[in-house]
Amino acid sequence: MLLAILVFVMVRRRLYRQFPMFFLYTAFEVLQFGLLFGISLSPIHFGPDYVRAYSVGLGFSTVIRFAVINELYRHFWRRYPALDGPGRYVFLGSIVVLLLIAAIVGISAPATSTKFLFNVTYALDRAVSVLQCGLLISLFAFSRYFALSWRSHAFGIALGLGIFASVELATSSVWLHLGDFGNRAVNLFTMATYHLCVLIWMFYLIRPEEPTSHFSNPPPKHDLEIWNNELQRLVQR
Amino acid sequence: MTTTIILVLVSLLALVCLLWLAKGRTVSANVLQNPTEHMRAVDVEAFRNLVDPDEEEFLRTNLSPPEFRRIQRERLRAAVEYVSCAAQNAAILLRVADAGRRSSDPATAEAAEKLVDNAIRLRLYASLAIPRLYLGMILPGAHISPVRIAESYEQMTRLVVLLGCLQYPTRGISSAL
Repeated sequence: MLLAILVFVMVRRRLYRQFPMFFLYTAFEVLQFGLLFGISLSPIHFGPDYVRAYSVGLGFSTVIRFAVINELYRHFWRRYPALDGPGRYVFLGSIVVLLLIAAIVGISAPATSTKFLFNVTYALDRAVSVLQCGLLISLFAFSRYFALSWRSHAFGIALGLGIFASVELATSSVWLHLGDFGNRAVNLFTMATYHLCVLIWMFYLIRPEEPTSHFSNPPPKHDLEIWNNELQRLVQR
Repeated sequence: MTTTIILVLVSLLALVCLLWLAKGRTVSANVLQNPTEHMRAVDVEAFRNLVDPDEEEFLRTNLSPPEFRRIQRERLRAAVEYVSCAAQNAAILLRVADAGRRSSDPATAEAAEKLVDNAIRLRLYASLAIPRLYLGMILPGAHISPVRIAESYEQMTRLVVLLGCLQYPTRGISSAL
């Protein structure tokens, strides 16, 4: 429901042009919810077909989330062309390191359930969460180191995705430990987190874009004397 | 069970890390309210002197090896301090220039764009130079010459002057910041 509002807001404010992958992600989630809700009301209820549809949906959703993260990186490369080269190195370097971590996690804590689909779904979900969470942390660290200014829309999207990815890492690990679908407490926790993330996205996408920092009052002259002398010296050369 | 607990703790740590990094955005915004309080003067000539290979060679030939190592460590420690100051100034100037990029005046926007590029480059060089300087402290004999930092910093300060003159033609250089 909240996601449907978000889709509406994005269409209304034409944000799908700026963030097409994020728009695709929200639209897909709405569609997936509709489909799964329909299946749960049908005679299939929460049976094997529901689980199959859920797993396939999760797979698509995960792929689109990667595209959203890539979109956020590209957003920075477009705004700061000087970062295009180093930014790509950070992105690719992070992927390599995180893939290694995901592989180590997969080997050290293999899925123990007898259900193949369950094992595949949550083992992949856990590996993907490691990757997505790591990529978003790298992005935040990168922008912090270079003191880059975020457009508030991109910041909100990245923050929501990051929170969701880190919580997803914990919940997918718990799912694999429990070895079966349908633990009510974990389900509620995941849903609550996701709702929080959607609210974060709504907050940042609904409010107007923050203007870039601007100095209406230039700072007092006496603070800058040393700096000015240095500049004057350079100019007079 | 243990692995699951470790992974849950790791995810918690990742969440805290993410929120801390995201909070840094607000801190930067606060710095921008009064940038001059956070800017530090950098004497480029003194820095050049500290990383000058000829100067290093002169010290090497005129001092005893233990004395040279001690002096060289001191010099490189000071150089690290200079690079850190330059990188911090670059971060602040980057945000200042960001505002100028949206100027309706094409000359101002262009100067701001160049300043953004230079500030980013300087921070890149700084991220490469600082580990090299620390390596130089561990191995005082190794040749370290992060002169590009000085060049980049000079170029950046010239652009600050240009941006200041374009944005505030009547107020002088201070107004650029």
